[in-house]
This record gives sequence, C-alpha cells and structure tokens, in this order.
Amino acid sequence: MDIYLASVLTNMTLIAFLALSAYLVLVVGEVSFGQQAFFGIGAYITASATALAGAHIFLGLLAGAIGGAACALLLGLLTIRLSGIYFAISTLCFAELLRFFLLHLRFTQNIDGRIIGPDGPEGFSNIRWIFENHYEVADFLLLAVTCLIILLLLLFSLERSPIMLGARMVGDDPVLAQSQGLSPTRYRLSFIALSGAVAGFGGGLFALFNTHIEPAMFGVMLGIHGLAYAIIGGLGSAIGPLLGVFLDIGLLESIRQLAAYRMIIFGGLVALLLVFRPEGIVSPRLVSRLKSRWRNRHV
Amino acid sequence: MYSLQGIGKSFGGIDVLTDISLTLKPGQRLGITGANGVGKSTLINIATGFLKPDSGHIQLNKKTLTHQPAWAFAQAGIQRTFQSTRFLTTANLGEQLLLAARAPGSKSRLTKLIELSGLQASLHLFPDEIPLPVLRKAEVIRGLAASPEVLFLDEPSAGLTANELDQFGAFLKQQLGQKTALVVVEHRLDFMAMITDSVVEMQLNRGLVKRGVDVKT
Repeated sequence: MDIYLASVLTNMTLIAFLALSAYLVLVVGEVSFGQQAFFGIGAYITASATALAGAHIFLGLLAGAIGGAACALLLGLLTIRLSGIYFAISTLCFAELLRFFLLHLRFTQNIDGRIIGPDGPEGFSNIRWIFENHYEVADFLLLAVTCLIILLLLLFSLERSPIMLGARMVGDDPVLAQSQGLSPTRYRLSFIALSGAVAGFGGGLFALFNTHIEPAMFGVMLGIHGLAYAIIGGLGSAIGPLLGVFLDIGLLESIRQLAAYRMIIFGGLVALLLVFRPEGIVSPRLVSRLKSRWRNRHV
Repeated sequence: MYSLQGIGKSFGGIDVLTDISLTLKPGQRLGITGANGVGKSTLINIATGFLKPDSGHIQLNKKTLTHQPAWAFAQAGIQRTFQSTRFLTTANLGEQLLLAARAPGSKSRLTKLIELSGLQASLHLFPDEIPLPVLRKAEVIRGLAASPEVLFLDEPSAGLTANELDQFGAFLKQQLGQKTALVVVEHRLDFMAMITDSVVEMQLNRGLVKRGVDVKT
C-alpha cells in the first residue's frame, strides 16, 4: 500500500477516536473543548508504559484508556453542577491546565544510549514500539482500524440498548429524563468517563504511530476538530463522527489541490451545515427512521 | 400508601403552600382543582420530586422520599405527566415507550396497554407527528408501563375538545388497575366526575378543602 495513503488513513482512524469521544459528550447534551487533553494523557501514559516500562502494547493502550477515563471522570466530578457554556469553558481550562502540566513534566531515562521519556516542551521522543516490532505503516493501519472497528461494535451495541436513548434524553430534556427515572448526573459522569477512555485509547495509538509526542500537539485546535467532526457528522449514530472525519481529512486534506484551502472550505462547510442542517448529517431522526424502516422490512 | 405531610413551600417570601397534607391508598382516584395561582403545579412538582419542599415529608410505603432527587421518585413508582406533553422529538414513540418499560416484566404489560389503546399505528412516528389526543394517551401509557404506585396527571384536558376529553376519560378508566393511585390536577369538573372518586379544591392559604359536589356518577 502507498505509504502516503496508509498514513492518511491511519491519521483518520486515530482522529476518529477523538471525534467519537467528543460525540459521547455531545450525546449527553454537553459540549467539550477539552477532549484533546484525554487524548494527550492517553498518549503520554501509553508511551511511558511501552517505552519506559516495557509493557505489552495492549497493556499500554489499556493504561492510556484508563488514564483518560480517570481524568475525564475527575473533570466530570469537578463540573458536576455546571452545564452549557460554563461546562464548555471548564473543559477548555482543564485541557489547557493539563497541557501546561505536560510542559513541565520531566522524567527521562537513558535506555541503551537513548534518552526516553517526557522532557518538558521537547516532548517524549523515541517511542520505538513500532520499530522494535517491525511494524510498517500498513501494519499499524490494520491494528488501528481493528481497534476502531471493535470500538464501533461496542458503541453500536450501546446504541441498540435503552442506555443510549436514556443518554439522549438526559441531553435533550433532563426534566423528562428524571421523570423516566434516569439520573442525569450518573449518565453524564458515565458518558464523560467513557469519552475519556475512548480519547485516551486513541491517544495511545497516536503516540505509538508518531513515535514522538509533545504537549503542543494536544492544543485546543485538535479538540475543536474532533468536536467539529462530531457536530458535522451528526449525533444519530457513531457513524456520524466518522463521516465528519472522512469529509475533512479524507477529502479536504488528502486532495492536494484542496489542501491549501482546507481550513477555509472546512470552516465554510461547518457554517453551512449549522445553518441548513444543525442536527448534523446523520441526525438522530434519520437513524430512528432508518431503523424502523429496516425492522418493518425484516419482521 | 403515599403521603404528603405538612408540606410548605415559599418563593421569595411568598408562601405558596402551607401545611398541605394528603394520603393516597392504592387504587384511589383523587381530583385536585383550584383557581389559577393557588399552587397546584407547585404541589404536583413537590409531590413528584421536581421541587423540594421547605418543610414537611413525603412518604411512599413508609419510605421517606422527601430529599431524594426526582428520578428516585420515578424509580420508586411515582409517575407523572406534564401539562404540555413531554417527549423527545428525536426518537419515535415506540422507542420511548420501551424505555419507560425497561424494568423486568414491564414489557409484556406495555404491549398489552398499547394493544388496548390502539396505539400501534403511532409507534413508528415521531411525537411531533402525532396528534395531541394520541400523545396524551401515550403519556399515560408511558406512566403506567412500569406499574407505578401513584400517577399524577397535570391538566390532562389542556388542548383537548370535549369529545376527545370524553374518550380520554374512558381510556383512563379502562387502563387504570387496582394498584395505581391516581391524582388529577384539573379545572374541568365534568372530567373529574368521570374518573375520580373525590375532588378537593385548593384554596389560597387554606390548603386542600373537600369539594361539596357529588362526583360519583
């Protein structure tokens, strides 16, 4: 496979984790500008686990996901009484706080003559897992896509269960949700923690693929992209955020003639969608309609 | 057995409710009427956990619920409807009724309720595509799906024609079991006469006063 194509596809797969994590927060009715922090935490934890502690990759990724979930849960608990714009601002502050923390994080080790470990603004170099295991770009793509498909299957089964409808209800109308015996707080905390796990896992893969990470990579723009993909794609299904990723990275960034104008086109696309289809391309109503049509045909 | 004891509530120094008490036995059907602004909605919101009283207690089967969140009231079996029907517009009616019947054993009950009420044709529609009389029925079914202890109806007549209200009343009588106690907050006394055993009137600063009309028909 062409290396350029494979690395674009890998990039899309990794950013899809971030978009899905933004989606999970949007479902419970909140907007987060801080998902990049959980992505970054996951990246640093997975990098440390594999490159410093020599952990198995899946253990490293799992640790990244747990770390992301723990940070997200902490944020959720700190903002338990906030919603709307106040919640959004808090997520942004939290993410910047974490980035500054990473800027000052230093614990390097000399392993076989290589300086490995987080070194403040210089970042974390020599994450050599893919070299040590002789992973080509295409191999890594396969690994990342497999992980994404497993995540999607988990999310689809969640979407088939009443839990997802409960979450949407908490997001759309908390009063109605309470009258149905659903605790908005529990739903919000669970979904925020889950979003942290998804972002942390994606961040771990990102660290392994990039072999070098630094705090500047996990700035606000990364989170805003993830959020925009979820909003463009729509909140009807986990397919939505993937569609958003595909539209931006897949079409705009990869078609080289367009790449220079990417941010202009992408910004315009977001604006147009917000005017003409604010519920996103794959809206909840669309999904619900398709589902009942499918059921009618097959029952 | 559900009871409110000595419920008091004031907003910004104005006493809306003072020392309101109320007891409901299983299967009892009580109507509450009263002028606008005497605190009927406040009472229903407190009784279902959406507002916290300043004083008094709320108990269900000897368990105190007073300071529990509203969702815990609902889980304990205290259901309500809303003055303007309340549904998600992003999911079809069937999905939302299923969500209400997620407790074990509720699903078969729900299926029966839906069949009896002829709601099948609306299940695949979104609530904003469904006419109000059907939605009112659906809201009651949603409330009854989990076989609640108490069901509060907040002005079910709002927006219904006399004919539709008659049908709704007949539907209610048919659907209510022996277990669930019903409280209807309502202006329409003819409707109350049709479905309740007794009616009390809420009066400003005097609480609940027995209404001297013969409502049994």
